Amino acid sequence: MFLADLHMHSTFSDGKLTIPELVDIYGSRGFGAIAITDHLCESGSFLGKAAKYLQHTLTPASFPLYREILKSEAQRAWDQYRLVLIPGFELTKNSISNHRSAHILGLGVSNPIAADGDVVELARAIRGQGGLAIAAHPVSTQKVEKQTFHLWDRRRELAQELDAWEVASGPYFFDEVAESNLPKVASSDLHVRKQLTSWKTVFHCERKLEAIFQAIRKQELGFQFYDEVNPNEHRDWIHASSLGDQYLRNRGGHPALAQAL
Amino acid sequence: MVGTRLSLKHFKTPPPHLDAPFALYPVSILKPLKGTDEGLEENLKSFFKLNYPDFEILFSVADERDPAASVVKKLMRHYPRVCARLIVGYVDAGPNPKVNNMIKSYDQAKHDWILISDSNVRVEKNYVKRLVAHLDPSVGMVTAAVAGRNSEGLGGALESVYLNTFYARGMIITDRLGHPCVIGKSMLFRRSVAARFGGIQTLARYLAEDYMAGQAMGKLGLRVVIASDPVVQIIGKYKFKEFWSRHIRWGRIRKTQAPIPFLYEPFTNAIVSGVLGAFGLHQLFGFPVHSVLLVHLSVWAFCDILLMKKLKTEVGFFLPLYWFMRELLALPLWIHIASGNTVSWRGSRLRLETGGILAATPVTR
Repeated sequence: MFLADLHMHSTFSDGKLTIPELVDIYGSRGFGAIAITDHLCESGSFLGKAAKYLQHTLTPASFPLYREILKSEAQRAWDQYRLVLIPGFELTKNSISNHRSAHILGLGVSNPIAADGDVVELARAIRGQGGLAIAAHPVSTQKVEKQTFHLWDRRRELAQELDAWEVASGPYFFDEVAESNLPKVASSDLHVRKQLTSWKTVFHCERKLEAIFQAIRKQELGFQFYDEVNPNEHRDWIHASSLGDQYLRNRGGHPALAQAL
Repeated sequence: MVGTRLSLKHFKTPPPHLDAPFALYPVSILKPLKGTDEGLEENLKSFFKLNYPDFEILFSVADERDPAASVVKKLMRHYPRVCARLIVGYVDAGPNPKVNNMIKSYDQAKHDWILISDSNVRVEKNYVKRLVAHLDPSVGMVTAAVAGRNSEGLGGALESVYLNTFYARGMIITDRLGHPCVIGKSMLFRRSVAARFGGIQTLARYLAEDYMAGQAMGKLGLRVVIASDPVVQIIGKYKFKEFWSRHIRWGRIRKTQAPIPFLYEPFTNAIVSGVLGAFGLHQLFGFPVHSVLLVHLSVWAFCDILLMKKLKTEVGFFLPLYWFMRELLALPLWIHIASGNTVSWRGSRLRLETGGILAATPVTR
């Protein structure tokens, strides 16, 4: 069994930690896999342009360096920690309206995708590269920040287009997603070190990219709240199969949720 | 004044590890060459006279018929005990001809420590020692500010003032603000570290390979250090038109790489900041505009003269005039830079995109 964090940001977008720092932080804590998913913003929108000028997004100029550093750090992460580093990005469509905003994680992808198209096209482009398309924080994160509801609004239509939906982001567990029968993952959306304390995904498979992807597709995984202050304290975890209809019946009754609270 | 003080202090502070075991840091010096710049032979000769325990020099030319090749061969005959090689060849890895010219030398270098040095640079015999003396495990790259010397013509004089005031001070301030600032005239780094971002081949995509190398080091969590000693660039004869077009190109690359800092640039020039300050003080406290402006410009000029003196700029009778001209030209130059995104590059007019890369198709040819 190992813990994985499938959503985090480095200094290539709006994160505060470099890619080598992320590898060392997670590797030294015994994690089995991480995905580095820096923002790749829509280029046509006002907010996308602002992100570009503020250097809070990957650009055609920075992407080659990003890809090369991810490649070399993936090797180091494996050699030094047996940590699988999954290359990725977060396709970021931000609009003034939360219902027109959507963030899609692309995992296992190495070529940039313009985030300007419709979300269906974006998900297909990610899958076309052999990657996984995951809906990032699709419901309210309960924080004062940009919310992204567009994917959730179209969840029935997108159920076949996306490989998983975040059931937890940072310290927040999303009841709406937990109650649904959609495939799920949990991750930190880490930007700064203190956000290590957050929900993670638990895998029982081999520490290999293909095995991790397969586990996500088949939902052979679970979710655990990781506490950076007491990392060795015993914590329960929730199996993905105990969510959905079953979660509706026992709402809030799982010990792992009680511990996170 | 703060910038000048920081710069003077920087150039006065010696490198921290002058007692380093230099023999443990063998260095391969890469010199990409094209044509014969002003004083090329003297510039290259200064590298044959280096006082360093273990180094090699790899000169690279794209074409064996390049006139720089014969200068190198002559010097290699004259200094047979210095380990030097002439590498001919060109690898088309991107639009940056300097990087393309160096790729073969880079691959053939014997040592892990690589020092890239431009052809128009002239160095002291302890140059490499004093660069290496900045190294510690947190340092990814050592670069240097540039001191312009031996300028001729109006363009040359303006270039000299530009390099020895605005650029030198700007580089130190940018560094102090925590942004890696690299000038390609002198870059010392480990090939094994550069391999972590794909080596110099990755940098061939960018017009400003030096800026991106600094960015890459920062992304790896490594520091970029500006050496205590500036490198001397021999400016030579320069026409005003050459000066202007070169700064348009530099400025537009700067603008697309870091648009927000580019917005502040006019306020780092004496006249714009002086006029704004004088009117501001007049409105607030009723100070006479002309007097404030005169005091401001005098203090600024004094600071710049101190900095130029530190960088050993030739002080001629017309220096104050060139200084004033440069300051007067700073705003029109900035407006010209801001008004477009194209640069002249190898006979074509090309459009720059955010991050300082070239658009796929030329605007005109």
